[in-house]
Amino acid sequence: MKFGIFHELATPRPFTAENESKVLQNALEQVRLADELGFDTVWAVEHHFLEGYSHSSAPEVFLTACAVQTKQIRIGHGAVVCVREMNHPIRVAERAATLDLISGGRLEFGTARSSTWTELGGFEADPDRTKQDWDEYVRAIPGMWTQERFSWKGNCFSMPERAVLPKPMQKPHPPMWVTVTSPGTELDAAERGLGCLGVATASLSEQERRTREYHRRIQSCEPAGLVVNDQVATLNFMHCHEDLATGAKRGMGFLGLFGLLNSHLLFTREAYPTTAYQSLGGVSAPAASKGGGNPGAAYGVPDGVCIGDPKAIVEAIKRWESVGVDQLNFLVNACEVLPQEQVLESMRLFAREVMPAFRRGGSVRPDVGPSTTDRAR
Amino acid sequence: MLVGTADPARFEKQAPTLADFDARALELRDCVFVQALSEIDAAGMCEMLPPALHPTLPPVVGWSAFEVPDSEWGGFRFAELRIECRSGLRPRGLLVGCVVDSEAARCGLAARFGFRAVLGEVQIARAYDETRLRVARGGRLWLDLSLRAPQRLGETDTQFVSSLHPAHTPLGFRLLQVDVEHAVKRAERGRLDLAHFDAAAWGEPAIRPSLALPGVVGRADLSIRPIRFVCRADILAFEGTESVLAADGAR
Repeated sequence: MKFGIFHELATPRPFTAENESKVLQNALEQVRLADELGFDTVWAVEHHFLEGYSHSSAPEVFLTACAVQTKQIRIGHGAVVCVREMNHPIRVAERAATLDLISGGRLEFGTARSSTWTELGGFEADPDRTKQDWDEYVRAIPGMWTQERFSWKGNCFSMPERAVLPKPMQKPHPPMWVTVTSPGTELDAAERGLGCLGVATASLSEQERRTREYHRRIQSCEPAGLVVNDQVATLNFMHCHEDLATGAKRGMGFLGLFGLLNSHLLFTREAYPTTAYQSLGGVSAPAASKGGGNPGAAYGVPDGVCIGDPKAIVEAIKRWESVGVDQLNFLVNACEVLPQEQVLESMRLFAREVMPAFRRGGSVRPDVGPSTTDRAR
Repeated sequence: MLVGTADPARFEKQAPTLADFDARALELRDCVFVQALSEIDAAGMCEMLPPALHPTLPPVVGWSAFEVPDSEWGGFRFAELRIECRSGLRPRGLLVGCVVDSEAARCGLAARFGFRAVLGEVQIARAYDETRLRVARGGRLWLDLSLRAPQRLGETDTQFVSSLHPAHTPLGFRLLQVDVEHAVKRAERGRLDLAHFDAAAWGEPAIRPSLALPGVVGRADLSIRPIRFVCRADILAFEGTESVLAADGAR
């Protein structure tokens, strides 16, 4: 089992320079500590216009700061929105390769298509074609990284033969992932040999079903890149405290606010009738489907969430491990609800009391590196 | 976190009264439906909602209209305007106003489900290239929109969101959660052309449409379920939601 921290850069109102800066600086301090403690990956999402919920609109800049302030932790660019109105594929390839070089070959490259009308509408993107765009990006970008000169004629974009530079440090190229919000996207990932980066909080039973099917399908994949990444990662929330009740109370504090902010976004399906988005999406969608339609229903601690004392968290992680999840990526705060020192202390306790249970030979320091499989096309 | 700031008393005016919570569902077969949404100016979005609710980002309003071929009140048409919002984590639409072209249906919808409805004219005109919805009352045009260039959708591709209706109830003034199940038989998406919208006539003059979103026209069986939950307007839905069902599901 690998562990990552996951940054949305949720920011409290008012959106002053002071508050924005505090969120960024606290996040960077968490990343430096995560590196020291042996966390495997730091992920930063790409979102736009999501007031309060996520101010991570320039993750490549934030992640560059992470890269230069750390030594071993892998840098999760997760995920780049692969939609023509938002990021040109050539610029995506260039930025990612540069980040891989700056980080000394530590890049994990995530891809996505956005699930909110808040974002797609803001860029006047067409929801009907985002999946087609994404599919073209994930097939084209590995070529830009690996071919001396590259040309492309597609539906989404075309380019004459050019040298896309620089090339990434990792050979043949960094591990590729796709974020999975809607059920079924894990199959898209499997069929293309891409890692499955879960960002919605699926239940354990649902995750087990999806993971089993993912692993079955990826055996016969047609890789989009030159390597297959067959890892399954999923989003979780973590707050670890010696006292179970204190850990649960603090953890639910930021988890609840994060879910509430997420639910206020306008998901694509709600605003734009289409066959291309089959679920409301969002981290709160599973919770909102419970309670028999009662807005006052108490959701409680979701199944398998990693908040509480070390013993409870070890038990939760063992359950994720048993359903085939390779990596848990933790949100550790939202909108600075928890004081920074509480967040850092929680991470230290997690590393001291929880991580050793999942490291070979009990070592805290993992074998860090891409667990991808070379596969010639 | 954004939350509504409107005085709850504002929603009590003209709110209908429910003598009791009717346990019967209302089944409306083979209805033509129109649903269209538009983003609105964000300025004032919190002032349009009571403290129980949160605005969406961006703020959105929706118009719906139904042509009901037959019912216990005979055939009728009705149209409504809602502000899309969140009640706790859940998507909801706060009813602003409703127009019904049958007095019997208007009275029934108000008494059983808290529709704040007035008698008026609702026209749904369908053609191959567009569907036009016009709503008027007493010679004043309230709404004129068209859904153009239809494209076929699947039967499950349209999202329908439950409503909240301000109403006086046996529990006091509350927001009724009105759940309408849509069994869609056919649906087409169309490009929204909003030719006329009289926000003041509908009851919320501050609404200013800014970006038209695609709409849907289709045919569906509707089932308006008995009221299950009500919510106080003055506090967050997490704290102010009450079930009107007994523990065994009976009333």
